[in-house]
Amino acid sequence: MSSGSVKVIVTSGRTLNQGRAMEKGKITQDYEDAVALCEMGSTTMEALGIENGDTVIVKTGLGKINVKAKLNKNLPEGMAFIPCGPYFNYLLDSYTQCTGMPGFKSLEVTITAARGAKIQTVEELTQKMKEGI
Amino acid sequence: MTEVGNTFKDIVCTFCGCLCDDIIIEVDGEKIVKNTNGCAISKERFVGHMENRCLQPTVKGNPVTLEKAIQRAVEIIASSKRLLIYGLSSTENDAQREAYRLAEITGSVVDNTTSVCHGPTILGAQESGETTAALAEVRHRADLVIYWGANPAAAHPRHIPHYIRQPGEYIKDPKKDRQIWLVDVRETTTTRMVDRFLKINPATDLEVIQTLRALIRGTKLDVTEVGGIDIKELEEIATAMKTAKYGVLFFGLGLTQSWGRHRNIDAAIRLIQDLNAHTKWGLMPMRGHYNVSGANKTSTWVTGYPYAIDFARGYPRFSPGEYTAVDMLARGEPDAMLNIAADPVAHFPRAAVAHLASIPVINIDPKFNMTSQLAEVNIPAAIAGIECDGAATRMDGLPLYLKKVIDPPDGVIPDRDILRMMIKSLEKVMK
Ligand code: SF4
Repeated sequence: MSSGSVKVIVTSGRTLNQGRAMEKGKITQDYEDAVALCEMGSTTMEALGIENGDTVIVKTGLGKINVKAKLNKNLPEGMAFIPCGPYFNYLLDSYTQCTGMPGFKSLEVTITAARGAKIQTVEELTQKMKEGI
Repeated sequence: MTEVGNTFKDIVCTFCGCLCDDIIIEVDGEKIVKNTNGCAISKERFVGHMENRCLQPTVKGNPVTLEKAIQRAVEIIASSKRLLIYGLSSTENDAQREAYRLAEITGSVVDNTTSVCHGPTILGAQESGETTAALAEVRHRADLVIYWGANPAAAHPRHIPHYIRQPGEYIKDPKKDRQIWLVDVRETTTTRMVDRFLKINPATDLEVIQTLRALIRGTKLDVTEVGGIDIKELEEIATAMKTAKYGVLFFGLGLTQSWGRHRNIDAAIRLIQDLNAHTKWGLMPMRGHYNVSGANKTSTWVTGYPYAIDFARGYPRFSPGEYTAVDMLARGEPDAMLNIAADPVAHFPRAAVAHLASIPVINIDPKFNMTSQLAEVNIPAAIAGIECDGAATRMDGLPLYLKKVIDPPDGVIPDRDILRMMIKSLEKVMK
């Protein structure tokens, strides 16, 4: 079992669960469950020595955030996916290439295993951003 | 409205840009109990409309009357030097128009969520024009439909089953007579619904599109692959596109948000223009929020521009990258924000949220969202298309009337009326 880290490109986008949970309400467990996760392929999971549901730390130059790992067999090696929402955006820079649009689709990140580590709730994350952390 | 007992027929679903208008809603007393025909998201929207609901206006977290909340909002707006008005894509056309009026009288910047979804689509269209189609026309005629960088199974669940895998006037058997292809950087749930999946390498959309253009024009290319696809396969795709009787390219944020932004769209539009020298092709953005297309239209009618508009000089000026919400906030420019029917705290990058957290925010939304956690003033609103009527524009530009099926919670009024109250009060203050 490895406990190292992997470098991948993370892309973000919609999922059905994220859409449903968003409609239910953002301040719900459903929403947190739908967006505080990182999908990755089996090779990436093996490299990290983790299992479906373990916590991982996703890190960019801007900061890091804990999310739940989710196996997605269809994701190629070197690519991970985080549903669009506050957990992905916490890692994202604001550069828009002068278009207004940040680079939601390709973020270089490092993923590290953190089995058992706590995942912040949506409210805690909002509070953190309010305090500018 | 066809109303049988408490059953409402032909209701428009106000979640995504498909605006499916065949929804049947059953109301029992004060509750929506059933949604027939809607997808999983639609069911959640209608049946769960009272969940996580904000029912009481608040100022700094304290419950206040609507009048008091408006009064505080007006104080914030009147004392602000650089107000940013944002959101508007999950509300109806009249509310949008009131927001532009408010921006005009206060000399503010007004932007809608287009800037973080299909803003590049509009920039591409401004450079290269628009080659569009109606969804009905696609259903009746298209023998080749390509989704590019879109995942309708997740974001527009009925797009394929309701509009595309349906028989039409000239497409008798939608399985045999119509091909559906998907181009994406990863396999998604949509992959299972299509006839062919083409996986391209991330950030190579522009190269692949330009290659197809060259091949369609008959140029021989001295390469073996582009974007991870063999050139032979690309040649075959180019031929299939050229020989289709009627093709449509639906594209999503995989094209607008990735490397290249509006240049990708510019190229896609030109690809469609090239194809129209041989056959008939159209192109359509998969608009996300149900009335983001309407936000662009109302904004263009009223101000001349679709988004990112500054009224500081008393007349509208358009400058994406400058008056777009993320850029404004990341530069630390606005000293107050009025957010209507959107959740920038959930959907903006961190630096933009950090500035938003440091300024007074007025948030108008039916539900608690992440922005309401940071806002000084929260005003609950009625949900258009469920608790009040209105009009919205489908992704193909078709305007549809939204019906009311149930009363809003006590004391909760539509966005347009909240904004009208603010404007009335501001006009007195600013005299
Ligand atoms: S596809 Fe979109 S508009 Fe149609 S029912 Fe589902 S959420 Fe509503």
